[in-house]
Amino acid sequence: MDKIELQNTLPCVFEGREVQSEIWLQDVTFQKGETYLVEANSGTGKSSLCSYIIGYRKDYLGNIYFDGKDIRQHSVSDWTNIRKQTLSLLFQELRLFPELTAMENIDIKNGLTNHKSRKEILAWFERLGIADKQDAKIGRMSFGQQQRVAMIRALVQPFDFLMVDEPISHLDDNNSRIMAEIMMEEAQRQGAGVIVTSIGKHMELPYTKTFRL
Amino acid sequence: MMSLVWKLLRQHISIAQLAGFFFANLFGMFIVLLGLQFYNDVKPLFSQEDGFLKPEYLIVSKRISGVSVLGSEESCGFSDREVADISSQPFCKSVGAFTASQYRVVCSMGVNGVAQFGTDMFFESVPDRFVDTELSNWTFSPEDGTIPIILPRTYLAIYNFGFAQSQSLPKMSEGIVGMIDMLVVLRGNGQEQRLKGKIIGFSSRLNTILVPESFIQWSNAKFAPEADLTPNRLIVEVKNPTDDAIVQYINEHNLELEDDKLDAGKATYFLRIVTVLVMCVGMLISILSFYILMLSIYLLVQKNTEKLRNLLLIGYSPVRVSLPYQILTVGMNGVVLLLSLLILYVVRSYYMDRLWVMFPQMQDGSLWPALCLGLCLFLIVSTINIVAVRNRVMKIWNRKE
Repeated sequence: MDKIELQNTLPCVFEGREVQSEIWLQDVTFQKGETYLVEANSGTGKSSLCSYIIGYRKDYLGNIYFDGKDIRQHSVSDWTNIRKQTLSLLFQELRLFPELTAMENIDIKNGLTNHKSRKEILAWFERLGIADKQDAKIGRMSFGQQQRVAMIRALVQPFDFLMVDEPISHLDDNNSRIMAEIMMEEAQRQGAGVIVTSIGKHMELPYTKTFRL
Repeated sequence: MMSLVWKLLRQHISIAQLAGFFFANLFGMFIVLLGLQFYNDVKPLFSQEDGFLKPEYLIVSKRISGVSVLGSEESCGFSDREVADISSQPFCKSVGAFTASQYRVVCSMGVNGVAQFGTDMFFESVPDRFVDTELSNWTFSPEDGTIPIILPRTYLAIYNFGFAQSQSLPKMSEGIVGMIDMLVVLRGNGQEQRLKGKIIGFSSRLNTILVPESFIQWSNAKFAPEADLTPNRLIVEVKNPTDDAIVQYINEHNLELEDDKLDAGKATYFLRIVTVLVMCVGMLISILSFYILMLSIYLLVQKNTEKLRNLLLIGYSPVRVSLPYQILTVGMNGVVLLLSLLILYVVRSYYMDRLWVMFPQMQDGSLWPALCLGLCLFLIVSTINIVAVRNRVMKIWNRKE
């Protein structure tokens, strides 16, 4: 997939409201290989945007296209393949499984495509400073630690676009920097586009473009 | 990786609910299968087809009243005119007469050459075309000296329950009557001859000891050449045994129809009603247990909605996340089917042993009817389960949960 286009898109709940946005009701294109920042205030529909693009919600006006194809036309198996092969999302609410350990949470995703080796995954654990937590239940880890696990999970798949929704809200600057490094290494290796959202603190990256939501 | 998915999705499984389903369904399934199997096993006892007489053959005799016994002898037999009248009726295809032996017959029977008991008796014959057996078995020649015999089935019962029991003789099934040695002594007209008898089968519709017509003709000519051969009974082949005209004719001419089918018919009818009732109860239990299972699965999916949704969002297909619950339900259905068949097998061999003691002529039958019904139920229920789980997961996909 080479580009994601938004055409006059607007969450249904914003209909009839005065909207000042560089995303909503605009024609926006995200290109593969570029890095974007979407800055938002609370309640401006940042998570909604992520939900629309990952195919989880459809309560929007206007259209969203992947390579020119309206994503409302995608079938169930299209979406399954997109989520497995093309588009990776780090959810703001993480969506990890608290019953499983950190490593099991990675395995359950990596097992779909076997994209990364155990060695590569362990190296990331190491660099993010949670190597000792790999066998700990997610439910017993702090949110900051969970965010790092969720980032690893977002990276263990092939993708053309990586969306990260507030990835560093609970991380210190050092860990944020390491996470950004790992993310960009993997994105560049795959030649992927990156879309970062933030409501304040954001990763310091060479952004192609910044949007005010 | 499937085991990780299972590790996630087995959360909130209620062992108690599933056990409840399991035993209820096992019970219900077993009752349904038992009902059908028992019906199939027992039915032949009630509606045993008579191998030697087709259903279109009716046996007609004159009604015996006190007057006719004391009155002239010929009123008990059929005159030529009466036979001709019957054969001219529109319902009638052909008529044959019973011809009785007119001399003395003494018969002794034994097993393995040891004579057990002897009795006076008689023979009758009908024209060979009315006897439905292989003609090579149903012939007699004086040189050969063996008489094929068809006995009433009641004789076997009398032997098995009356005689054999009190004399501690072995019970006999229809299959092994060939082992009986029968010595027949014919006397009359100043002559005596010893012949061998061979029981070739039993009939529940004939109240007589039937032998081939050729034997009766030969023996009557030899031992009672002057005897009167007026038939007492006729065998009538009709076009349709349920024709009302037959009953009407029989009543008008003061005749009697030998009919043993009526009682068996009634018994079969009640048997069918009881079976249907029992199977309905079993079915009801099964349906209720199926309902428990569906509720249990719905509850499980409900409680695990968040996990299922997350799996779908990280790239698992609905087919894949449905699979563990589908395997669970289908597996349980399968185990229930196997167990109920196993219990059925045990119970069946128990009641079949009992039935064999009472009805040695009973055939072995098979478990196929229950097996087929069980498989059908399994397939139907499993299909509904699979579709229901899949629908639930699709609801989560479509954010309706």
